[in-house]
Formats: sequence, C-alpha cells, structure tokens
Amino acid sequence: MSRSQPTRRTFLRGATGVAIALPWLDFFHGAKARAQATPATTAQRFVAVFNPGGTVLEKWRPTGTEDAPVLSPILAPLEPIKQKLLILDGLDMKSAIGGIHEEGIVALLSGTPLSEAHRRYASGPSVDQVIADKLKKPRRSMELAIRWATGKSHGLINSNNCLNFENAPGFKPIPPRIDPVEIWNDLFKTQGATQTNEARARLVRKRSVLDFLDRRYATLAAQLGAEDRAKLEQHLTKIREIERTLEELPATTSCKAPELIDTSDYNPHTGLNSSDDGSVRDNSTDRAIPKVGMLMMDMLVMALACDMTAVCTLQWTDTEAKHTFPWLNLSEHHHYYQHDGGFRPAECQKICTWYSEMNLYLLQAMAAVDMGGHTLLDESVVFFGSELQEPPSHKCTNMPFLLAGNGGGLRTGRWLRFNNQPHNNLLVSLLNLFGDDRSTFGDPKYCTGPLTGLT
Amino acid sequence: MATGPVGVATSNSACATATGSSRSPLRRLTRFEFNNSVRDLLGDQTEPARAFPSEELGNGFGNDADTQSVSSLLAEQYSKVAEGIALRATETPAALAKLDPCTMSLTAATEVSCASTILSKLSARAYRRPVLPAESEELLALFSAARTEAEFAVALSTPIEAILQAPDFLYRIELGERNSSGRLRPSGSEMATRLSFLFWGTMPDATLQAAADSGELSSAAGVLLHAQRMLDDPRARSVTRFFFDNLLPIASLPQLVRDPMMYPSWTPEIGALMHEETQSFIEHEIWNGSGTWPGMLTAPYTFVNDALAKYYGLPPVQGAQFQKVAVDPSQRLGLLTQGALMAGTTTSNFTNPVIRGAFVAKHLMCRPLRLPSDPNILAMVKPPDPYSGKTARERYSAHSRDAVCATCHQQMDPIGLTFESFDAVGHFRTTENGVTIDTSGGLPGTPINVQNALELVKAVAAEEETQACFVSHWLDFAYGRTLKQSDASDACLKEQLFGAFKASGYNVKQLLLDLTQTDAFLYLPSP
Repeated sequence: MSRSQPTRRTFLRGATGVAIALPWLDFFHGAKARAQATPATTAQRFVAVFNPGGTVLEKWRPTGTEDAPVLSPILAPLEPIKQKLLILDGLDMKSAIGGIHEEGIVALLSGTPLSEAHRRYASGPSVDQVIADKLKKPRRSMELAIRWATGKSHGLINSNNCLNFENAPGFKPIPPRIDPVEIWNDLFKTQGATQTNEARARLVRKRSVLDFLDRRYATLAAQLGAEDRAKLEQHLTKIREIERTLEELPATTSCKAPELIDTSDYNPHTGLNSSDDGSVRDNSTDRAIPKVGMLMMDMLVMALACDMTAVCTLQWTDTEAKHTFPWLNLSEHHHYYQHDGGFRPAECQKICTWYSEMNLYLLQAMAAVDMGGHTLLDESVVFFGSELQEPPSHKCTNMPFLLAGNGGGLRTGRWLRFNNQPHNNLLVSLLNLFGDDRSTFGDPKYCTGPLTGLT
Repeated sequence: MATGPVGVATSNSACATATGSSRSPLRRLTRFEFNNSVRDLLGDQTEPARAFPSEELGNGFGNDADTQSVSSLLAEQYSKVAEGIALRATETPAALAKLDPCTMSLTAATEVSCASTILSKLSARAYRRPVLPAESEELLALFSAARTEAEFAVALSTPIEAILQAPDFLYRIELGERNSSGRLRPSGSEMATRLSFLFWGTMPDATLQAAADSGELSSAAGVLLHAQRMLDDPRARSVTRFFFDNLLPIASLPQLVRDPMMYPSWTPEIGALMHEETQSFIEHEIWNGSGTWPGMLTAPYTFVNDALAKYYGLPPVQGAQFQKVAVDPSQRLGLLTQGALMAGTTTSNFTNPVIRGAFVAKHLMCRPLRLPSDPNILAMVKPPDPYSGKTARERYSAHSRDAVCATCHQQMDPIGLTFESFDAVGHFRTTENGVTIDTSGGLPGTPINVQNALELVKAVAAEEETQACFVSHWLDFAYGRTLKQSDASDACLKEQLFGAFKASGYNVKQLLLDLTQTDAFLYLPSP
C-alpha cells in the first residue's frame, strides 16, 4: 500500500486546464498528529460520488491484468492516482428493476428496487446512512449536489434526483445541499467565532431555543395519532442533531476554510425553473459547474479532514442531467447525448472523461491531507457510481464502478472482474469495511453475499 | 349555487362501499405558505423559505403531506431562517414599534410586560389558535434568560426565533373537537386555518380568526359563507396562480431560450408576457368570464399588452397593461392554443407532437401514460432527426408505421398532431418547410376525428374525463394529498366532487367552494 506524502503546496489540474492551488492544505503539514499513525483496521470515512449517465463501456473497461491494469481512455485521467484505485468490473445492478434512470439512482446506494409503497423511492436505507449511524460524528452525514434537479422535477425532489435515504422507518429521501456559499458559511464561517462574548451569548440563546423546541415537539407528538406523531418525532431527531452539532463540534482551531471563490455567476436554485427536456437553459450556471464542483470537493475534503463528519455524498447533477457543458464545447444537455437526441458515444465519452478528471481532483485532495502519518484517502473508502451503464438502453449490467482509498484494508491498484454478481454484494462489502459484519444488504433477492478479494 | 354539504351517495356509487372518512395527514407549511405566513405575521417580504430544500414533487403541487419529511438540512435551515426573520423583526426602533407601541417608551419597569404583550399576541397569530398562559410564560422565560446577556431587541428575537420553528407554526396541527353529535371536527381556529391556506395560501387574518372565535365556522353553512367571501378577495388569486403554474407547463417560460436564428422574434421576455397572458386569462375566466373549465378551454379571446399583440400580429393595443382581445377564430380557441401552452409544450427548437399529446392526455385527462419498461424498446426511443422530414407528421410517421410504437403512441400523437399549426414559439402557421401542414387527428379512446386544433379543443372540453381530471387535481392540491382511486373513501370523494362540479355546469369557483363542503373538509377522521 502506498503512503503518498503530502507536498508542501498542492496544485491540481482543473477541467479548465488551469492549475489550482489549495493553500489551505498547508495548514495540515504543521498540524499535530491527531489520528493514529496508521489507519485503524476499519475504514473511518465514506464518500459516495454520483457521476450521472453511465459510461461507454468499451472506452471505460481497462485492459492488462488484475494487478497491472491499463487504464482505458475514460479512466486515463486517473492515472496519477491509479495505485489508490480499485476498479470494479462486471457488477450488475440487479436491484434496479425497470428501464429508466429513477430505478438506477434509487438502487445505487440502497440496493432496493423503486418501491410504489415508498412513493417510488427506496424501501430501505442507503448504505451511507447506515455507515453514518455507525461512525456517529456531530454531523451525521453531508449530501452535496452540483447543478441539481435540472429537468422534469422542476427543482423539486423526486426519484430521479434522490440518492440518499434515511436509516429510519419510511426511508425518506434526503435532499442534498446545493448552495455552495451557504455550505461554506455553515461549515466554516463560524469557526473561531465562539471566541467572542457576543458569539458565546448567541450560542447560549440558540441552545435555549433548541431546548424549548425539544420540549414542545415531544409534548405535542405525544398528543397525536401514530402517523402524525412519527412526523414530529422525525423532526425532533433532527433538532437534537443540531443540538449535538453545537455541543460537539471539534475545537475551532483544527479547521481552516478552503478559499470561498466567487460563485455569483452560479444559481444553485436554477433547477426550479427547469423544463422537462432541458429546453430552459442557464448558460452562466452551466459554465460555472467545474469551479463550483471543485469548491464543493474542497469543502467536502475539509469537512472530513477536520472531523465535522465522516460520511459525504457528492452528487454531480440529477440522473437525466439536462445541463450543458460549455467548457467541453458541448452545447446540448447530457441526456440529449445519452438518448434524447439519439445515442452519441463520442460526446458521452468526452463527458465521462471529464468526470474522471473531477474524480482525480477529489482523490488527490484527499491524498494530500495528512491525518498524522497517513492520508485522509488512506483511511477512507470512496465509491464512484452511476445510475446505469449504457445510456441508450438504460442497461444496468457491467456497471462502471470504482472504489478508491485504503480504508478497511482495501487493496488498491487493481482491476477486479465479478462476472455479473449483483451490486448489492458490493454494498454489503462496503459495510463490512466499516466493521459492520452483516452478510446481506438491500433487497436480499439481489444479494448473494459480500464480494471477495477486496482486501 | 351550493345547496348544503356535497354528495349524497347513490346505491351504485363508490360511496356505497366507502367506510370511514378520508385520511387527513398532518400538513407542514410549504415554502409558498411559509413565505406568505411570515409576510402576514411580521411583514417580512424577503421570501426566506427560498433557503429551504425543495419539497418533493409528490402530487405535482409539492404539498403532499405524505411525502413531507424533515432532513437535517431542513431543520438547520429552519433554525437559520428563523434567526434571520426574528432579527429583522426587532433590529430597528421602527420594526419594534410595529410589534407593539410599548417598545417606544421602554423602561426597566415596563420591558417585561411589553415583551409579554408582544409574545402573547404574536404566538397566538403564529400558532393560529389561542395560546395557553403556560405557553406564554415559557416564551417569556426565553426572553428573560436572553436579556441577562443581551439588549432588549436581541433578547426579544430569541422567543420569536422559537415561535417560528415551533410545530404549532410549521405544522397545521388539528386536534379537533366533538360536535353535539359526538363527531370529531376541526376546532374553529383549525377550520379558519384550513380555509385560509386553501383560499389564500397563508395564515388566517383577524376577520377570519374573529369568525372562528365567535363560532361562525362550526357549521357547513358558516364555512361556506366565509369561503365565498375569501374567494372574492384578491388574495385568492395568488393560490389559483400557484395552482395553474403547477398544472400547466408555463412557469418556466420567462427563462425559455430558443435558437435566435430560427426564432428571431423570441426572447425570454416574450415568454414572461405569455405567462402573464395565460394567468390573466384564467383569472378573468374564473371571476369575470364563463367561470367554467370547459369555458376556459374554448374561450374565443385572450389577454395581451402592446408588446404581445405585436408579437402575435394582433391589432395593436395600447400600453403594458394586459387587456382582453378577441382571437382569430380560424386560428385559436381557448387556453390550449395560447402561445404559453404551445411554447411550454415544445421541448426544443422543433415541435414535438408526442409531448403536446402526452400533456393533454396525462395532465388534462388524467390518462395513465408510462414509458415502456422493456429496455430493448426503450433503446429505440429517440426523437427523429429534426431535419429528416418536412413536417412533424412525416418525422414521427414511424409511430404509426411500427406496430410496437403505435400501441403507445396512438394514445398521444393524434392529439399532438392537431397542434402542429403552432410553432415552437407559439406562432400560428399553416406550412412547415413550404409544405402545408396536415392538422388532422383525433381524441384517442373515442370515435372522434378532427381536422384541426380548434375541433380537438372542443372535443377535449366536452369529455367528462377532462372535467373529472380537473376535479382530481384540485382535490389533491386542496387536501394536500395524492388521492387514490383504489381507496374507497378517496374514490367516493372524487365522485361526490365531480357530481357537484357537473351540476354547477363545471364552474370553477363553485368547485372551490364545494371543496369546503365535503365531510373530508368539515370533519376529521376518527382517531
């Protein structure tokens, strides 16, 4: 297993071809070791990345051997971090029943078919939420999304843009955070602010309000019938989560905010005005996608690095992805190239390849964070997935899945072929890496037990 | 006019088998309702609910109580937004004076009683019910605790922040009360809340609260009287606008971009005007026109201002104000042929009869249409090359030639092809690429064949299915649910409302009034 040493100053190549400095990473090199010198035996952090729209399989599948894979054109941008990758080939997403995007995104992390009884969402929790309950950080998990809800949901939550589901009866879909400035303010603005008397007084007031709400929700819930009571109780659990966040946030000096770049040209709510088919354009927001994506990844990495949370999901748009790619000179939307305009493999490949560049950015940023003798990537498991494999047919066989990081002893730098095993086997394996030793996950009909050979 | 509670079950109706009343799950304020409520409660016009995560699509109106869930993000945003509203409500002497004049002459001796006055008043309005002394005391305690470390205004903002996140404000709590025959019904305040959110999308005003307090809302007739008053109030229009913005594909027209080479006259500003055309037309139809849904579908006029009249090539009108004008009866008829609907149902620079047909069949007639689930068929689904034929009928001919395609497409295409007389930006046309457009089609599932959109619109308007579908959308929206045909009490409710709608000649205002006269509105399900 390689132990990449963080460099003094990390430069990453962004999609625009411009080198991007991450000066905040400097901070870590002077930081005292807070974590163990070597990663614990179980994985400590989980990141799920949703890259929409499947792939072009013959341009994705590596060649070479298990231990010495030769990266395909689509995966080629990941070459610098290849030793941290575990390419999972030949898994079928059998729990995605039906032929449309919704079934795929719902099944991806939940391993359950789209359920009419659950209003066309998952009938179980998504794997990230189960992991979050195990790792129990002040913020259970963070779900971030870029250029979200671009099409027929008109900015509302529905089964074609929802990836994460609560680990509680009902398994409600979790809306992602979409506004980069707001996320930055939430995570980093108040860091260090508790030093002033005024900020301390504010915190005291906040706590008194939360106490009041805690009592009121509990009292009122007890007066209602079971169904309505469950709603208030769910609300109460979230209020208690905020209470815990106020109590338990790590010492303020341990975090340094990533630079908040100017994103005034990006409207995170633009999806509210979207049309079913992408005929409503927001060119300014589309152009800002790469820089906003990198900002989101900077924030995600820092949230993990300073232990605000241990579980993050990064969703690059919703499944049908009805935004354009001006920086790739692609003026139609992703779904158009997938099949609305007839399948266009060359354009799809270009888009997938760009996603590989973005995935490299994330992994290199994680690899550059020193957690005290090992890197953030060393102790993490990163899962990259999509809602389908082949865009025109919506086929979910031979899914283009990747793992990265060495959390839980994952053995990387390899290409594993699974001969059409169900992807629920992967989901249960992910749980195993975090020390949850169950043997099935999701709909058991589509799970034959954990994958072998990952560690 | 309404003649008492809606619906007398006949022996062969869905109501004969319905047992028990419809469900009434706990509803949370939507972003629309939250914004309106803080506007009315505190004069806060900043639309702060924009910071909340989106609702679920659910019933199409984002207000389906069964889909409402609280994520960590939502709870955090409630907290943040409440803090912001509370600070704005207390940050200046003028803002404080608006809460109560007692803030203008504060002394150490008067400030607690002043805070108490403000909080009692505010919480009763925010909770939409009388507040118990113990509740007021608890709020005052939040003020007093904060006051030890902060100035009066900041201390006062603390309980306001709490009120704005209390379940009593965010949720429409209905504990109910028994009437003289022991049946559970919403209390006066709860009924006022039902009416106010249905007709105005916001919390009750003082008049309605007074009516609740004096017992005027404890009978169906009393509820109807207030419903009539509220429906004639201009505030009702924000709700009908919200409803039609969600029912029709018109809300995003002000952002719609078209290829300027193909459509040099189109700008998003025209889209905004078309949106206003349709909403003005609907308002006029409901309150001053035929008043009926089939009337709206077949009205021989529309609304334009100077710029839009010019765009359509109509006789000039003066000024930016929208005014009623006749349309050319050989070209357009009613809502569906308006520019907004034609541009709003066109998904690219080329018209697509499938999408237009599917919109009418699915959204206006509630016919179930689903994408094929066979991946092999799905792989074939793609729109034809826009340059492959001279007209849409030619481009989409595979749909009728290929038997597999035809099974689904015969449900949509015959409707959509009649609208080919309108281009992607809502202009009337008779030719495409120099070829005369054949606008013949029909209404699938009926023997009706038509020569053009005008005849089709009349056929759609004449179908009971269309009227029943309209009722169904209003029921979902008004009751914050997705009513299920498979549920006997839901089916009964639909049947009753449809019966009443039909009896009124499909009058929209009457339908809205009748929504308040069902058992589902007047009573609560037994626990």
